[in-house]
Amino acid sequence: MSLLNTFFTKNIYSTTRRILVLTMRPSSTESSENNAPIEMENPYKKERRQCILCQLNITPDYKNYRLLSQFQSPYTGRIYGRHITGLCKNKQALVEAEIKKAQNCAYMPYYYKDKTFLKDPKLFDPQNPIRSHRF
Amino acid sequence: MPAYELALLLRAMPKQELKSTLKRVSHAIFNRGGIIRNIENLGFRAMPYKTSAHGLVHREANYFVFKIDTATQAVADLKEEYSRDVDIIRQRVFKVQNDCDHSCTLEEEMLPPAYREEVQKMIEVGKTQVNRFTYKFKYNSGLDYYPFQK
Repeated sequence: MSLLNTFFTKNIYSTTRRILVLTMRPSSTESSENNAPIEMENPYKKERRQCILCQLNITPDYKNYRLLSQFQSPYTGRIYGRHITGLCKNKQALVEAEIKKAQNCAYMPYYYKDKTFLKDPKLFDPQNPIRSHRF
Repeated sequence: MPAYELALLLRAMPKQELKSTLKRVSHAIFNRGGIIRNIENLGFRAMPYKTSAHGLVHREANYFVFKIDTATQAVADLKEEYSRDVDIIRQRVFKVQNDCDHSCTLEEEMLPPAYREEVQKMIEVGKTQVNRFTYKFKYNSGLDYYPFQK
């Protein structure tokens, strides 16, 4: 008996719902055209990532040794690799070339970082490279 | 005439002498038909490392950058002349880089290896290479039996 009862109630519920939906649905054909999907670009598309020098449109220059010294280790004076600096290939090559020029011109030291630039803001964290270190 | 940048390090000296040295340097350029576009004074400061030039050890220098236009053949000549100048500690000539606008390729470089173009190219090249380390016996070599263990 109970089983029949539940079946009955379910039936009633489904029929009433159908009626409700039918009444809510617009009957005219014009509005169905309005409901057509709108052509638009993918709103969830991520923005294209850029390296910091491309973003700010900076071309590294050997005379700007303060900027270049930010890509140098304060302990050994060595140039940080692309996996640490997060630069694109082109800019990294440019930075490396300009650092070598600046060092050769005695604008920049080879084996340490100028102590006046030690407190400059950090552009990246060498402990958290983008790709793992090879050692 | 191509554009060059002449980075000069002059020894520590009084202002009057410095003036005459700069004059000498620039006259050498003019005498070879060059043009000076700009002279930048980057100041007098301690060098990051000591340098010995013309029998003296220098720890401080006057930094100057000359932006010049000269014939390419004159550059070697100028370098030779400046190398004989006792007031010049160090001189470097660089060609001025013209700005080439390129788009940032960081997005493509950050893709996983299988999606990177250079890796795909490497795989393609690898497929065409013959593996030299596996020897394959040829049956048409005259022997009527297989000489190795199967």
